[in-house]
Amino acid sequence: MIEVKNLTFSYGKDKQALHGLNFTVGDGEIFGFLGPNGSGKSTTQKILTGILKGNGGKVSLFGQDIATAHTQDFFQKIGVLFEFPYLYANLSAIDNLKYFSSFYPAEQLRDIGEVLEELEFKTDFLKKPVSSYSKGMRQRVSMARALINNPKLLFLDEPTSGLDPTGAVLFRKIIEEERRKGTTIFLTTHNMLDADLLCDRVAFITNGNIVALDTPKRLKEQNSSHRIVTTYLYQGRREEKTIEIPELEAGIPFPHDEIISIHSEEPTLEDMFIQYTGRGLS
Amino acid sequence: MKNFYSLFKKDCQMMIAGKFIFVAFGSLLTYTLFINFGYINFMDMQLYNVYLYDPQGTQQEVSELIRPVASLEELDDALLADTNGVGIDASSGTPNIILYFGSEKVDNHRADYALSLLRSGDEYAAQIVGTNTTEQKQRKEMSCELLFIEIVAVGFLGIASVLFKEKQMGVIRVHAVLPLKRSLFVLSKLAVFLLSDLVFAVLLTLFNVGFSGTIRILPAVLVQTAILSLIMALTGFGCTMLLNDFKQFSLAYLVIALFVATPVFLSANTSIKMAWIGWHPFYQVYMGLKNAYFGTPVTSPVYYICTACGIAALFVVVQTAFRKEMGKEG
Repeated sequence: MIEVKNLTFSYGKDKQALHGLNFTVGDGEIFGFLGPNGSGKSTTQKILTGILKGNGGKVSLFGQDIATAHTQDFFQKIGVLFEFPYLYANLSAIDNLKYFSSFYPAEQLRDIGEVLEELEFKTDFLKKPVSSYSKGMRQRVSMARALINNPKLLFLDEPTSGLDPTGAVLFRKIIEEERRKGTTIFLTTHNMLDADLLCDRVAFITNGNIVALDTPKRLKEQNSSHRIVTTYLYQGRREEKTIEIPELEAGIPFPHDEIISIHSEEPTLEDMFIQYTGRGLS
Repeated sequence: MKNFYSLFKKDCQMMIAGKFIFVAFGSLLTYTLFINFGYINFMDMQLYNVYLYDPQGTQQEVSELIRPVASLEELDDALLADTNGVGIDASSGTPNIILYFGSEKVDNHRADYALSLLRSGDEYAAQIVGTNTTEQKQRKEMSCELLFIEIVAVGFLGIASVLFKEKQMGVIRVHAVLPLKRSLFVLSKLAVFLLSDLVFAVLLTLFNVGFSGTIRILPAVLVQTAILSLIMALTGFGCTMLLNDFKQFSLAYLVIALFVATPVFLSANTSIKMAWIGWHPFYQVYMGLKNAYFGTPVTSPVYYICTACGIAALFVVVQTAFRKEMGKEG
C-alpha cells in the first residue's frame, strides 16, 4: 500500500527534516509512526497525503509513484484525521459532514447518521453548531469525516487525543473494525498505549531518522530481561523473589504456600522508545 | 461543477453567518439615504458672488453677474458677510483677487471664475459636456465614489473576515485532502464576492441614478465593478493567507485603504494634482468606473490587458500563498 525508500525532505536550505526514511506498509496493516514533537512524523504524513511537495527519494502509494499519485482518484480513496478537530464551527455536525462528503461520489459514501451512531455521538447535538460541542464531540465528528468516504487508506494523527477513557476505548474499537474491513491505517501518535494495542508494526522516528521498526511485541521481547518477579506467602510471611524465566520450566523453584502475583519484567513500548531515541515522547 | 457548487454554497453560508451581507445592506441603505436626502439637496452650491471695486472704470466688459462696490470698505464688508465670494480690487488698473479665505491650490478655480467674468462672453464661455443635469451629475458622481469605497474598503474587509474565520478553524487544511482542485477553493470565494459586489452595484445605481439612467450605463459599470471587485478580493485573500491574524490584517488594511483611496480621491475629485497619479493602478480603475457612470466607458485595449494581467498575477500569488497555508502545522 505504502512504499517509502530513502525519503528526504528539507524546509529551506539548512533545515533538513527527513534523512532518508525507509519503510513499507502492507494492505490492511495498522502501522504506527511514533516520535516526539519535531521528529518528522507530521512532515512524513504531509508528504504521503500530498500536502507537501518537493521530497527526495522514492515514495509510492497504491502502487503508484507519489509524483503522479495525488490525483482526485487518490483523495477519494483516503481518509485523514488531523491532530485537531478542524470543522466549521458555525455549522452543525450534520451540515459539516454533508459538506465534506459532497466532494465524494455518492455510491462510495456511508450514511452520516450511521457513522455518528457508531461513534456514539449525542443525538441532541446533531443540529447544534459545532461551537457548542466539547472537544471529545468535535473529535467524534472529525473521525466521522475521515470515515465517511469508506477510505482504503486511513491517516490518523493522535486519534484518541481529547477523548475520555471511554471515548478512547471506543475509538480503538472503531480502528480495529476498520482493520477487519481491510483498511490500511497509518497511525501517528504520542500515545504508546494506542500504538501497543492497535499497531501491527511501529516505527520510532527521531530527528528525521527511523531508529527502530518492528512489531510492538518483538521490540519489547528483544529488550526483555527475561525475568519474573513473584510475590508469595510462605509460613505466614509475605516475600518477593526475582527469577530467570528458564527456571520456571520445572515449576516454581522455591517453597511457598500461596502465590500472590507474578509480574514479568518486560519493558513497555515507552521504555523501548526512550531506549532507542534517548528522549521521551512529550 | 458539483464540487464548485458545494464550495459556493458553503461560502454563501459563511458570508451570511459572518453577517457581512447585513453590513452590505446597511451600507446600501445609508448611501442611498445620503445621496437622496443629503448630497443632492445640500451640496448643490450656488455660483460664487464676485464683487468688483473699480473706481476708475478700468474694466470695460464686465459680466452682469459681477456686483460692483463703491469702496474698499464695502468690498471688505461684502466678503465678510459672504465668505465664499470673490473680491476684485481693480483700483490700480490691474485686477487683484481678494479671498476671505482659501488655499493656493484648491481655490484657483474661484479666482479663475471671477477673472473670467471681466472678459468678453464668447471667448470664455464654458463648454457644456454631456447631457446630464446638475442633479444627474451629482447622483452619478456620488454613486461612483460610494461604490468604489464599498468595494475597496468594506468588501475587502468582508473577504478577509470570512477567510480569517476559516483559517482559525483550520478547515482550509482539510481541503488539502479532499478530492477537489485547489483552485476551486479560491475561485468559489471570488465568485461569491464578485456576485455580491455586482448585486450591490446594480442596486446602488438603480436606487440613486434611476431606472432609465441605470439601463444606459449598467453594462459598462458592471464591467468596471467586476475588475475592481476581483482585484480587491484577491488582495484580501492574499493578505489573509500571508498574515497571521486579524490584528496584523487591520494594520495592513489601513495602509492599503489609505494608499488606494486617498490619492485617488484627491486627484479625481479636487484641484490637487499629483504628477505620478497616472501610474497608480487604482486611479485608472476609479476613472474607468467614473467614465462608465458618465456614459463614456474606457475603450483602450491596453487598460483591459493591464487589468487582466494584474488579476492573473494576483491569482498566482494567492494560489501559492494558499498552498503554503494548507501545509502549515495546526
